[in-house]
Amino acid sequence: MARSKAASKKQQKQQQKRGVDFKKIKRKLGRKLPPPKNATNTEVKSKAIVLPEQSVASEKAGLAVSKKGLTLKELLQQTSHHNSKVRRDALMGLKDLFQKYPAELRSHRYAVIEKLRERIGDDDKVVRETLYQLLKTVVFPGCKEDNQGPFVSLMVAYIFNAMTHLAVDVRLMAFKFFDLVVQYYPPSFSLYADKVLQNYEDILRKNQFYLEDKAKLRSALAGLVRCLSLLPCNKRKVDSSEENMAGQKILHAFELDMPAESSGFSSITKKLKDLVPVLVNCFQDFFPSVHHMPLLDAQSFDCMHSILQSIDLVVGFFGYGIHQGKPASQLSYEGPDEAIWDHTISSLLLKKLFGVFPLNPTNHLSEKVDDRFFILNIVITEIFLRCSEWICPPGFLLEKFLQYIENALLGSVRPAVTHGPVKQFGRNIYFFCCLLFQSLCCKWQVIGSLVFFSNCGANHNNGILQAFTKIFEGCNPQSSLKLACLSAIEEMLIPGDDMVYPDASDPLFEYQITWIRALPQLLILLGDKHPSSSQVVLHLLLRLGQCANSSSPFSREYENMQYSLDKFYSSCVDRGDVYYGPFIRLSWDSQELAICGLYYFSNLGPFLLKSIAFCCLCSELEHLVLFRIIEVLHSAFSAGHIQIADYISFFMTLLSRFKVLPENIYPDVESDAKISNRGTFKLLTNTVCSCLSRIGDDSLVFQILEQVIFDQLLLKPPLDNACALLRVLVVLDCKPTRLSEQGIITLSKYLSGYLFEVVHCIPEDDEENSLPTHQQTCCYYMLPCFFLFDRSPKLLKLVLNLMGSLITESSSSPSSHSYTQYGNDNSNQINAVVSALLLMHKDTKVRKIISSFKEEVVHILQIIHSLQWYTIMLDNF
Amino acid sequence: MELLIASSSVADAGIGCWDLESGAEQLRYKSCASPPHGLACVGQRFLASSQLREQPSASSGSILYWSWSKPQVEVKSLPAEPIKPIAANSHGTYIAGGGQSGDIYMWEVASGRLLKKWHAHYRAVTCLVFSQDGSFLISGSEDGCVRIWSLLTVFEECESQRASHLYLHSFTGHTLRITDIVIGYGGVSATIVSASEDRTCKVWSLLKGRLLRNIVFPSVIDAIALDPAEHVFYAGSRDGSIYIAALNAESPSTSSYGMHIIGSLSDHSKAVTCLAYSTGDLLISGSEDGMVRVWDPITHNIVRMFRLAKGPVNNILVVRRPLYLNLGSFSNPHTSSRRHGSQLPPPLDKYVTSADEDVDNKGVIRLPSLYNAPRDASYISHRTIDNHLKELQQQGSSAATEMEVERLKHECNRTLQMVQQWKKMYENLHEFCVNELLDGDQVDGSKRNAV
Repeated sequence: MARSKAASKKQQKQQQKRGVDFKKIKRKLGRKLPPPKNATNTEVKSKAIVLPEQSVASEKAGLAVSKKGLTLKELLQQTSHHNSKVRRDALMGLKDLFQKYPAELRSHRYAVIEKLRERIGDDDKVVRETLYQLLKTVVFPGCKEDNQGPFVSLMVAYIFNAMTHLAVDVRLMAFKFFDLVVQYYPPSFSLYADKVLQNYEDILRKNQFYLEDKAKLRSALAGLVRCLSLLPCNKRKVDSSEENMAGQKILHAFELDMPAESSGFSSITKKLKDLVPVLVNCFQDFFPSVHHMPLLDAQSFDCMHSILQSIDLVVGFFGYGIHQGKPASQLSYEGPDEAIWDHTISSLLLKKLFGVFPLNPTNHLSEKVDDRFFILNIVITEIFLRCSEWICPPGFLLEKFLQYIENALLGSVRPAVTHGPVKQFGRNIYFFCCLLFQSLCCKWQVIGSLVFFSNCGANHNNGILQAFTKIFEGCNPQSSLKLACLSAIEEMLIPGDDMVYPDASDPLFEYQITWIRALPQLLILLGDKHPSSSQVVLHLLLRLGQCANSSSPFSREYENMQYSLDKFYSSCVDRGDVYYGPFIRLSWDSQELAICGLYYFSNLGPFLLKSIAFCCLCSELEHLVLFRIIEVLHSAFSAGHIQIADYISFFMTLLSRFKVLPENIYPDVESDAKISNRGTFKLLTNTVCSCLSRIGDDSLVFQILEQVIFDQLLLKPPLDNACALLRVLVVLDCKPTRLSEQGIITLSKYLSGYLFEVVHCIPEDDEENSLPTHQQTCCYYMLPCFFLFDRSPKLLKLVLNLMGSLITESSSSPSSHSYTQYGNDNSNQINAVVSALLLMHKDTKVRKIISSFKEEVVHILQIIHSLQWYTIMLDNF
Repeated sequence: MELLIASSSVADAGIGCWDLESGAEQLRYKSCASPPHGLACVGQRFLASSQLREQPSASSGSILYWSWSKPQVEVKSLPAEPIKPIAANSHGTYIAGGGQSGDIYMWEVASGRLLKKWHAHYRAVTCLVFSQDGSFLISGSEDGCVRIWSLLTVFEECESQRASHLYLHSFTGHTLRITDIVIGYGGVSATIVSASEDRTCKVWSLLKGRLLRNIVFPSVIDAIALDPAEHVFYAGSRDGSIYIAALNAESPSTSSYGMHIIGSLSDHSKAVTCLAYSTGDLLISGSEDGMVRVWDPITHNIVRMFRLAKGPVNNILVVRRPLYLNLGSFSNPHTSSRRHGSQLPPPLDKYVTSADEDVDNKGVIRLPSLYNAPRDASYISHRTIDNHLKELQQQGSSAATEMEVERLKHECNRTLQMVQQWKKMYENLHEFCVNELLDGDQVDGSKRNAV
């Protein structure tokens, strides 16, 4: 500072020197008076406030902007602009912005919705439309995963406000908005049900407004249908949704949503009751248009359809409430049946809705119109069936409906459903029919004894059943129609809660038998290409088996099913040529269902067991499934559903026919080791052994098995199978052997060959004991023999004798004995005998036994010695 | 002081009884061949067991009673059909039995009356369990169905008629035979665990009536036992090990056995057939090889082993030793048997008695007193009280007869009055008729005269 002052003084001096020409007025110099003490400092100090330059580019560099370069803040401000075009553009801009920057929406969603909700009641139609699109396409999907409760509550107040707007347009649009909210956040209906239903009631009352604007009304009614479909109306559906929750992670979790929902629905019964007459009147208002106009246009059709669906849902809800109110369940609704279902509604429905049934087109113009009428009629029928339980309809009405259902099922109402693009549509209709039928049959069992069904319904029932059976048999196995039929059949086959079976005189019984007989065929037809359908059929079969006890009339049918089910598992086409059924390639779930179904045959015969056994032997079958089959068969056996002879021969088949791959015990190549199923076979052997030992009295089982196993052994199965059979023998045997005299002789003949084979299969290098695994393997094959020797020394003696004689035999006439395939020349033979003896010697227990048979061993050694001498002599010559 | 009681399906093994603390064997009750879930201790007073049939052709099975002090069977009842599982409520008032046809029978112990029999399942009932407070009965069946019966609904006539079904809940999640069911504490909000031959155990909520958890095991589970704190449950499997499954929090999915299975106890024995949990924090398992093993569930070690039989152990019960049963009574059974000889209730009835008899046949049940030695404890049924009343009336004082005379006199007077009334009426009628006839004649006469 000081320096700069000095510099400025210098400059002044220079100036003074320069300005000689100009007379300078001299000022009086001197000391200034000091300022007075009370003087105020008038100096004002200020600092500049620097405003950054207003440049478009720099300002919005980091901010999210719309196409037009406006920020979120600006756009939100513009939404309340007085010009409707600006408002619309702002909404478009928002949509644009959010699509580009989804993060912007997430961080500002409350601010955004607070601004946007003001536009719900906008006067301009286009603005509302744009807002709807904005909410639907961007805002709601964007906020889906967040906690939506507060978000929705912000909007709902404005929606209700708009619902009472003076302009009808705005009101109808408000319903559309509410529909959108419900779509994304279903609990919102139960929270605001009271208000919404009131608003619907009001708007539907003033029908003169909306008959002109059917498109708007259609969307509003669609919203109503969506809301009402959230009502609990079908017990089964509720159950199934709960089943899905079983996978929850915490067992005793606090459930947040439960109280809100249950309290919400019980309180709106009255509101719904008021709604029904309004809906019915509204439906009637459409009547003139139906009858006078030549064509039933799409919009009025949609409106009528929605109205009917709404009525249907409300009636369903009443029915649900009545069922819930029954004393057996804990959740009781507030009153007896009468409180929920009063007679004003039933008389109204009877007079105004069922009275006009069926709706018929005035003139048959096009198929499309016919279809529409058909759908309307179907919904009316559904309503009728739903409430026929509580209102006792007069006979002629019932007659009319049953006649209609019968005709519909037979296809006489719509003969042209089978061609062209209508086909799919027709299927939907049939699907509908089946649902109807299902509900019909439900009631059948409940009120089967009621007079009106038995009086006028009987002949129709028969017709309906016939028609249904025809459809069931005729439709494509893969179609959804078949699935619908199946669920209807399940409903009719499985007796309900009262567990009463139909008796043989009932006309239903005859058809039930027909359906049951068709099931196995269907299963085989479905093959492995339609796993979901197969699963449904298998599940039905299981249910059938569960309730087909000896007192049930279906038990015989279920028993007979095993003769047609064999193709599902496998079937023998020619000798040794096996055709595998779809079972092997089905998913694990379906296989499990099929296996469980086996348990319920009260007498599982050898026929089906054979085909299952072939299935088990298939290398494609997962080994887990194989063990599961054995487990279930064991359960069935212990429940007395399988004969012991069949059961044992099933196991013998498994053990003797199982193909162990690869053939040689020590695979040379790594890939061979991977595909080897030797481990599985060992497990299988263990499982079979434990099953057999669990049968009961071991000595009896042993007696049964002894001859069977010898027969199998004499057929010379591969080494692994032979070992497994021997192991079974050992497991059932005990210390003083149970083998018969004859048995010991037979076995000794076999065992000498078996020992050779085992020894031969072990590679040469094993003698160095290099690998412990080799030793283990060796042990595995030798062990059953050792056990047998331990239990019966006589057997060992015989075997040793035989070994000795084998050497002499082979030396005298090579290839005379069948066991000599490995030892064509003597040296091989001798080698084998020696290593077998060595192996026996290694085991301490056998060594002890063998020591008591010194004679035999010495005899063998002598023979070998003499042979060696003989060969040396030969060489010398 | 707890007793460990185990029975086998082999008849010559009988029912073994050990002191859990000392391991000393007590009396062995003879000739019992029980099926799984076929042994029950009825209110700590005596043992009851259903019996396997000796030959399959025999039409009916039997239910046997043993008193604590005598090894011989004391009471034998023959139900209408073979009963396999039986259960008694904790006070020992009722015995429930499950039949081969799917029926459930409910007997009153004190009188032996069959109170109710109802069709519960499509197939044979395989296990029955009472809830802790005795208000619910849970049954499992061969068809894989588990049903919960509220005894209130079952016995209320009007309630059961109004409802479409008797049961409170029906769980049809299992595909194969139910092998065991346990229920936890907590009254109406208890947790139920069921095991089935389909290799799964399912956890159900009694309150909500829905499935809470499904646990798939590596092998079939034949027995389950619940940890008293209900953190875990033990599942005895056919492969010989006892798996420990979590009941509360989610277990780490890295478990080698499967989801929710925390660990296992194993000693490489044969299949585990039954399990029980004692209050002394011991887990007791019965195996197919006839051994009963006592485990320490914390260290996973075997604490004790008892040998019951050659055949499989079917049932294990852990009961508090009845106080009046000291060791002395075991050591000299002959003296005590004489004293206790007739203390057991009568055998169970075969059929339901007719309804009108039921009305005045309600049992009066005395609560068991814990401290007094209930040597003379016997049940007095309602009928005895009725008899008392009747006797009193019959013996009745002179006042009663006087009352009767008065009543008869009154009756007599009334009838006399009636007779008078009727006479009067008759006279009136007669008069009326005579008048009518006379009038008619007069009219006719006058007409004729006019003609």
